Amino acid sequence: MWRFLGTRIAMGAFTIWITTILVTLLIHAVPGDPVQIMYAQSQGTTPEQIEEVRRSLGLDRSIPVQYLMYMERLLQGDLGATIRGGQPVLEVILQRLPNTLLLACAAMFIAILIGVPIGFLAAYREGTLTDIALMIIAIAGISMPHFWLGLMLLFFFALELGWLPVSGNGWLNLVLPALTLGLSNAAIFARLTRSSMIDVMSQDYVQTAFAKGLPKALVLRRHVLRAGLLPVVTMMGLQFAFMMGGAIVVENIFSWNGVGRMAVEAIFQRDYPLIQGFILTFSVVVVFVAIVIDALYAVLDPRIRRS
Amino acid sequence: MSALLSVKDLSVSLGGKTLVDGISFDLAPGEVLSIVGESGSGKSMTAKALMGLLPPKANATGTAMFDGANLLAPDTKTPRGTGIGLIFQEPMTALTPVLTIGMQLTEALVSHELCSKDEARSRAIDMLDRVGIPVPATRMRQYPHELSGGMRQRVVIAMMMLLGPRVLIADEPTTALDVTVQAQILDLLKEIVSETQIGLILITHDMGVVAEMADHVLVMKAGKAEELGPVADLFALPVAAYTRDLLDAVPRIDAVSTRAEPETETLLSVRNITKTFQTRGALFKSGAAHRALDDVSLEVRRGETLALVGESGSGKTTLGRVIARLTAADAGQVLLEDTDLTCLAGRDLQARRRAVQMVFQDPYASLDPRQTVGRTIAEPMIIHDTLTKAERTQRVESLLGKVGLGADMARRYPHEFSGGQRQRIAIARAMAARPTLVIADEPTSALDVSIQARVLDLLEGLKQSEDLTMLFISHDLAVVRQIADRVAVMRNGRILELGPASALFAAPKHPYTRALIDVAPVPDPTRKRGKRPVLQGDYPTGPLKEVDAGHWVAG
Repeated sequence: MWRFLGTRIAMGAFTIWITTILVTLLIHAVPGDPVQIMYAQSQGTTPEQIEEVRRSLGLDRSIPVQYLMYMERLLQGDLGATIRGGQPVLEVILQRLPNTLLLACAAMFIAILIGVPIGFLAAYREGTLTDIALMIIAIAGISMPHFWLGLMLLFFFALELGWLPVSGNGWLNLVLPALTLGLSNAAIFARLTRSSMIDVMSQDYVQTAFAKGLPKALVLRRHVLRAGLLPVVTMMGLQFAFMMGGAIVVENIFSWNGVGRMAVEAIFQRDYPLIQGFILTFSVVVVFVAIVIDALYAVLDPRIRRS
Repeated sequence: MSALLSVKDLSVSLGGKTLVDGISFDLAPGEVLSIVGESGSGKSMTAKALMGLLPPKANATGTAMFDGANLLAPDTKTPRGTGIGLIFQEPMTALTPVLTIGMQLTEALVSHELCSKDEARSRAIDMLDRVGIPVPATRMRQYPHELSGGMRQRVVIAMMMLLGPRVLIADEPTTALDVTVQAQILDLLKEIVSETQIGLILITHDMGVVAEMADHVLVMKAGKAEELGPVADLFALPVAAYTRDLLDAVPRIDAVSTRAEPETETLLSVRNITKTFQTRGALFKSGAAHRALDDVSLEVRRGETLALVGESGSGKTTLGRVIARLTAADAGQVLLEDTDLTCLAGRDLQARRRAVQMVFQDPYASLDPRQTVGRTIAEPMIIHDTLTKAERTQRVESLLGKVGLGADMARRYPHEFSGGQRQRIAIARAMAARPTLVIADEPTSALDVSIQARVLDLLEGLKQSEDLTMLFISHDLAVVRQIADRVAVMRNGRILELGPASALFAAPKHPYTRALIDVAPVPDPTRKRGKRPVLQGDYPTGPLKEVDAGHWVAG
């Protein structure tokens, strides 16, 4: 198991290293001179000032040197300073990252809490009206774009009913964005759980468990659920990355003060150090979650744990 | 003696189709009743109906009296586990992969409130010991994937016997196991029956297993009972025509070979082939090496059928794949008419490939489901020949005719055919390349016995008419006895014995060959086998020595 996890951690580190290279090349991927574009809208910047910014970003050096400089600072925990405001990028991101993680975790919690039981119920009632109805709802949930669902929830619960605040950063403010992000993912989990459970229920070992005379509830809980949840756990890892991405849209709808909203602002302002920092942080979070999921998988599946 | 289980007019229907049609039988304590039939005969459905494990939409009628209650009545709660136990065919999937052996053994005892948790544990350990599992206390903490197939089947048997059932239903319990392991499991079941006086319903398609195990036999076909009677009568004087056909179709390991001595010209020469598979290790760490073929040499003569025989893991399939260049060998040569196939590449290899064609075990997996049968058969001609479309169509039709199928079937897709028909198509596809050597890897082991007989006849006929040489890979000695001129016995990547089929079966020289022949079930209830030889022992695996003309044995 340790060998398995060691391999995963090494692969994760490799992924992050590739990201650092892409992040350095990013500035050059945009056509035109990045510093010129950055200051295109502001008047009164002198050529000296532009030259100063270019030097501070290291853009006057060759690309490999730029990369080495970037890595040198990165390994010291320095992600540079924002162009607007000159604050350390790391500080700006760390300030907002907890908000985004909170949103993504809350959404994941909702997605699993709703999706897995629905999928389980549908599998248990396979082929009945309950199953069909649940799956139609699930397809509707998957088809619904975040921004639309978010706006609808906002309209009904905040504006019409007035139960929840429209925007802000309190606990009550978390409900609507987390629901928006969670509901469509719940639909994905419901469908996956259903197909996985149906697959497991037809296995010989489930029939054997019944043949031993175990009560149905025990067979479902002990023999079906655990094996059936393995693909769902894998999906959790993948979906978490998508939820972080989805957070960018949702945070903007609900003015949730997370890194997603910050990233959109940074992109509009062409704040390259901030964008680079955001991408890097994002990739670290996604890789970390993937490793956690792999560890969880090993706990659930003895075939991995004991190999 | 009064019957333990008395079944009358059992019928099962599902979606308007009758799957089991009016089956009746009695089962006495200490009796083994075999239900025999081919796939689709309804034998497994009968078992499921008795267990109350039918699919939700299936409907069972009739009566099955057990312990004063009718198991088929809707308000009867089937005494699953405690009254009737069930063992499935595939031990690899019959245990839940994510739970320990101990948990799976004890949970039903605890759930039925037969004893406390601690007592369940000690009973489970005793039972594991009883079914012949070494170090049972350690096994309790292990997971199914850490045990071999034979061990798992013992665990399943222990699991069912712990609950003290009075009837045990075993659905093809040894079909997925190697012949030596099968012998051990059958012995175990026999001991259990005679010791505990339970009634055993043994569902099987293997007449050899029936002859060895059963007291009474029920022959089923298409849901109906064809014949029911004592095992000796059924084998000696089968009444139903179907029973006679079934018995005739069974290949006999004790049959007398009437095969002519093959020519002596060498077609294929395998020299010192070695192949090691590397299991995947972690990053910066190499995995374990598994030697699948260990310095294997043999010659195949033109026009003969050479059988490669062995249990799983013996290397027989790997050797076939190395000869067909589907797997690259680590060292050694494969000379086909003096061309070394192992060092060919590119265009030369492709041109040479036509000479060696394969027929695989599972015809459900070896045909592309998205291509018509005609296109599948035509493909080798498109690659190797310059034929016009009309000529190709004509040849596809004539090939279909040769394998006993209609020319009009070329436009259909594989899923429209039965297993036996598909295997015929796979054979036609191999023939389309006009090969000199056909490698048939377990071509009939996925097929019913009556269909197996016909496919074997077809291969034999084609071999004669098309002037073929055949390498026949099989685990089934009886089939090999019927089709092979010469036999090579393999184990752990080594050839242990190689010789003419008649000599090898009549007087096996290597102890492993002798053991394999001894443990194979023979479809003859009058031939009682003695105590089984122990198979775990070390066998001589040294270089082959010629003990008789053309008969080689590892020293």
